[in-house]
Amino acid sequence: MTATTATEGKHRRGKKPGVTPLEAEGLRLGFLMSLPAQLLLLFIVVFPLLMQVYVSLTYWGPLDGESWIYAYSSLNWFDNYGELFADGRFWGSIGRTLLIVVVCVPIEFLLGLGLATLFVDRFPGRRIFYSILLTPMMIVPAVAGYMFFMMFQSTGPLNDLFSRITGLTVDFVWLSDNDLAIVAVMIADIWQWTPLMFLILLAGMMGVPEDQLKAATLLGANAWQRFWRIVLPKMKMVMIIALVLRAVECFKIFDLLFVMTKGGPGIQTESISLYIYKLTFADLEWSYVAALGLFMLIALSLLAWVGLVAMQRAQARAQAPGGAEA
Amino acid sequence: MFGSRPVYNSVRYLLILLAVVIVLIPTVWMGTMAFKPFPEWTTATGELSWLPKNPTWGNFEYIFTGQTADLLVTLDRTAERPILASLITAVLGTAIAVIVGTLGAYAVSRFRVGNNLPLSVLQLRLFPPLAVMIPVMIMWSFLGMVDTWWGLSLIYGIVTLPFAFWLMKTFFDEVPVEIEEAALVEGCSRFRVFWKVTLPMVKAALASTCLFVFILNWSDYLIALLLTRKDWVTIPVYMNSLASAMGGQMYGCKAALGLIAAIPPVVFGIAIQKYLVRGLTFGALKQ
Repeated sequence: MTATTATEGKHRRGKKPGVTPLEAEGLRLGFLMSLPAQLLLLFIVVFPLLMQVYVSLTYWGPLDGESWIYAYSSLNWFDNYGELFADGRFWGSIGRTLLIVVVCVPIEFLLGLGLATLFVDRFPGRRIFYSILLTPMMIVPAVAGYMFFMMFQSTGPLNDLFSRITGLTVDFVWLSDNDLAIVAVMIADIWQWTPLMFLILLAGMMGVPEDQLKAATLLGANAWQRFWRIVLPKMKMVMIIALVLRAVECFKIFDLLFVMTKGGPGIQTESISLYIYKLTFADLEWSYVAALGLFMLIALSLLAWVGLVAMQRAQARAQAPGGAEA
Repeated sequence: MFGSRPVYNSVRYLLILLAVVIVLIPTVWMGTMAFKPFPEWTTATGELSWLPKNPTWGNFEYIFTGQTADLLVTLDRTAERPILASLITAVLGTAIAVIVGTLGAYAVSRFRVGNNLPLSVLQLRLFPPLAVMIPVMIMWSFLGMVDTWWGLSLIYGIVTLPFAFWLMKTFFDEVPVEIEEAALVEGCSRFRVFWKVTLPMVKAALASTCLFVFILNWSDYLIALLLTRKDWVTIPVYMNSLASAMGGQMYGCKAALGLIAAIPPVVFGIAIQKYLVRGLTFGALKQ
């Protein structure tokens, strides 16, 4: 890897006179090999983005009887964007999605971290338990949603189980209850994605150098101190990666919700993806959806950019002399 | 990390067993439901039991032939076609993602060409697909690709490209350039080196990448929901339409279908366990 950087560095600097035939061949081949990926990106990013901007400035819909090319006949400039700021259902769905993210991701993280600490050292049966605990995240999300749809039926197994344990008749109508529905969805999400946290955090934990832990033990640090002082600081990057990945994916939550509640009862569990889906297929307001989508694109890009800058700062601080954690 | 005290060990086994039970409850419920006859589906239709009292293949029979003794309504659209559609589109989507991703990854890893690619492909994963689907739906219908196998495969190839690209890039980065340089000295062309030297060295990694990307494509629901109508609906879309068409919930039949959908990714996932972390974190972490 370092060798490549060194030789290729020479390429770039000496482009005009000093390019050997071999290097030129490499550049040509590299260009050809990256071409398909570039073309696909052009096809799926650049062109659709322009189209989305265009359509979002009009009242065009799929039932207008006109091709989208003639959308300019109903040009309204920024009406759609003005509308979205006053759209209570949009902001409500954003809030609900964020609520799911804020509740589920930390719980998944803590459960995953706890499980990972149990799996750090070897014990009989470790491999098989590990494989079993990973299965939920490999199950097709729509199928997992259906599993929990069955579990949470008022005539289903969960109420039956609770009834037997408590001796009372438990008949929660989980999925059509105003408050319980979102809890049911969160439980399903936690069930499915805790394994992902577990997987990533365990990998990070296995990377913590053992000799440092041994040294700390010799110096008299107890398990708790070792965990806080050595394991956690070493795992900071891994934790950030796990949290960011999960938060980004959780924000898109759709499959589970669509199968379990379809956003109901009413709009009690309607996430942003579900709201956009309904606008697209039930209300056919495509130009409004285009505006909504663009708004979210810009908002999320800003967020990602802020996050990236913050992370680079943190990294620079960690590398600066004296800034490193002991 | 915590030493090996007997108390800790027994607590650990207890906690792990608890986690295993929680993981298994919904899974086992669906697995057994697939073999339960109609009266055992819910407490509403009869008595609830965790294991089927009269195990039956009736649910599988029903989704594949449209008829079974228990249920009066015949099914007009059976499950073979959605299963075939899921298979074909997931396999072709995987082929597109892995081929394009591998070529691009090699170009970036070796020749530093296309340096915009690593971040640009990541963008494809950042946004909720629904926020950017309107132009894609317009384009797909403009090009006549809605509800076709090639249209669905193409979009699958695009949305899983980031995973294929990043996985293969980390694998190529690990191959020492010295081996390639030796082949170059012997007079091989650059492409021959890639094809005959590097690619065979990452063969196992390439196979794992294929399985990983296949799992992702197989797991999709949303995109198939948006871009298929009737002929090429995939398993999850078909599964969800089963209920609405019949009025009541078809618990047993849907569980049977769910079981069929759940098995390939779980088997493949366990097979490539070693690379899961790397794949899921876009190569940022290795196991």
